[in-house]
Amino acid sequence: MAKGNGLKVIVSMIGLDGHTTGGEVVSMLLRDAGFEVVYLGVNQTPQTIVDAAIQEDVDAIGISSHAANYSLIEELMDLVRANDLDDVIVVCGGNIPRKQIEQLTARGVAKVFTPGSASSDIVDYLANNTRRSNAAALPA
Amino acid sequence: MKRETDYGYQIKSVYSPEDIEGFDYDKDLGNPGSFPYTRGYHAEGYRTRMWTQRMTAGLGSSVQANGVLKKYREMGQRGGMCVISDRVFSDCIDPDHPNARREAGVLGWPGCSLLEFEELMDGIPLTGQSITLLGSSAPTVLRLAYVVALARKRGIDPSEVHGSVMESPFENYFGQTDVQPFDLNLKLWLDASEYVVRNKIRMRSSVISQHFQESGGNNAQAIAVVLSMYKELCGKLVNERGLDFDDAAMVPYELVSIGSRFFEEIAKVRAMRRMWARMAKDHFKAKKEKSCQMLIAVHTSGRTMTYQQPLNNIARCAIQTLAGAIVGCTALDNATMDNAYAEPSALAARMSLNTQHIVAVETGVTDVVDPLAGSYFVEALTNQVEAEAYRILKEIDDLGGMIAAVEKGYIQTMLREEAAKKFREVDTRERLVVGVNHLVIAPEEDFEIPIQEVHEGDSEAIATRMETWKKTRDMPLVTARLRQLHADAGKGDRFNLMPAIVEAVEAYATAGEVIGVIRMARGLSYDPFKVIDCPYDFQLEAA
Repeated sequence: MAKGNGLKVIVSMIGLDGHTTGGEVVSMLLRDAGFEVVYLGVNQTPQTIVDAAIQEDVDAIGISSHAANYSLIEELMDLVRANDLDDVIVVCGGNIPRKQIEQLTARGVAKVFTPGSASSDIVDYLANNTRRSNAAALPA
Repeated sequence: MKRETDYGYQIKSVYSPEDIEGFDYDKDLGNPGSFPYTRGYHAEGYRTRMWTQRMTAGLGSSVQANGVLKKYREMGQRGGMCVISDRVFSDCIDPDHPNARREAGVLGWPGCSLLEFEELMDGIPLTGQSITLLGSSAPTVLRLAYVVALARKRGIDPSEVHGSVMESPFENYFGQTDVQPFDLNLKLWLDASEYVVRNKIRMRSSVISQHFQESGGNNAQAIAVVLSMYKELCGKLVNERGLDFDDAAMVPYELVSIGSRFFEEIAKVRAMRRMWARMAKDHFKAKKEKSCQMLIAVHTSGRTMTYQQPLNNIARCAIQTLAGAIVGCTALDNATMDNAYAEPSALAARMSLNTQHIVAVETGVTDVVDPLAGSYFVEALTNQVEAEAYRILKEIDDLGGMIAAVEKGYIQTMLREEAAKKFREVDTRERLVVGVNHLVIAPEEDFEIPIQEVHEGDSEAIATRMETWKKTRDMPLVTARLRQLHADAGKGDRFNLMPAIVEAVEAYATAGEVIGVIRMARGLSYDPFKVIDCPYDFQLEAA
């Protein structure tokens, strides 16, 4: 499957959130779809995630979230902007209530995937909405 | 649509005597109260002992959690209380740690000192009900120390308190993650377990398949994993701590996750009881019948609670609660209709607790023990899940047991693959979930369920209180007790740290401090995140 076309995506938990199942499943389905996944795992801070995004020169950051107060994701958005990573989209996945989805979207989160999202929704969205999505086939 | 169990057994359209060929009532089932306990432990079932009907509490501050516990009592919670820890306490750092300030009180109770436990339990009795504190493995010794310390303060003999406050070190691999290393969690678990046995405190430890299943594991794997954990941990209590197996067997309890595939869930629990009874007798040479009786509580499955159309979860909860009642559980706590969003709101908790009350008093399910025994289908399913669980159990045994299986990554791979399979089955619509991939309709328009929230300010308030309160403690006493703990922690893995931990906790040493000095004595950094330094200077003195 070439939909991912070599696009590079971080998948990470944020803060003390130890629920890894969602992030691991999404990493797998993105890899199967041809994305390059940088899986950061647990205990990441907004700073370590942004550092990794710069070092790895990723096209998107995916945050897996299982119940939080979402301020860490908001801080991540501020850091993304402060580091001139505006062309790196941030998406979230998890059991995030509708009200918080509105707030996160207002802070610049590109898209929130709620539980039950189809793998094709996630794959298609990332394939079509990153900075390099419109480029022809990327060099391997 | 798939017509097979989650472990891959094809279900037939009808079952008849040939499906349970060789069925031997006395050997395979026995009467309720008789070996191998397939049918449960009480001859009269719920007529002599009703299950403990409880709900999980814990969110925001300790004072808020106390309010919820009191509310649950008004709602008819009977026999026991159940509180879950927040992520900060689960990791054994303090709310005023830089990595914790934003997450105190998120997803649970911020129990990082005895003060928090005192506030949690204000006006709530320690005896006459079971005290269950959940979370992760790392704070096991702290939760136990809180119970002992508060009992003493209230003039109660700790042996009069019962419940479960310990948690197995394996839960770390099942999505119930804390930051402490496995060998430390195992050592502290053994300390706590040995302490309760030697002091005749009726405290159990969760050694449970619930997290494993909620993270995606299947029914047969769940049985194999829970039995492997029992085998490993009871074995260590016997071989390393010198306990009788019949005492060690009183430490663990199983919390089983019950989903919506009704008959399969019932078969799972029946097989689990039978398999443990045999392991206790054959492998551990149990002398007491009670040692052959795995204590089983039920949690109706949070992972089956859908984000979409949350009112549908009330129906799921009712089906699962009925299954949990039919299997003959000791205690039951429900998932709630808002489980896919947050910890339960008062409305959702009341709904779930009332579901238990309705099942208990209106359906007749409590009149008869193990009502599905002898059903060709249920007995066949019980045999099937048992056979598959024995196969996995043997694989784990062949790897050298549960610890070896974890070290080799076998358990983690098994769980990851199974979680991926479960996702794919829904993604490809082989398994249908109403409102998610089947009969998807717009959200309810005229009714939105309330959702509990913890805001950044709530977490910060917990952190600030901890910060200022810490300075008001009797610091020479705190320092002396921590120094003693640090010294004891240097005396080797078999030296039991519980007495020193209780003393430190009684002086209001915090979770971060207690675990921090133990870490230092073991050559680790005081802070697992290496962000803060130990505020005490006795590290070198003790050498």
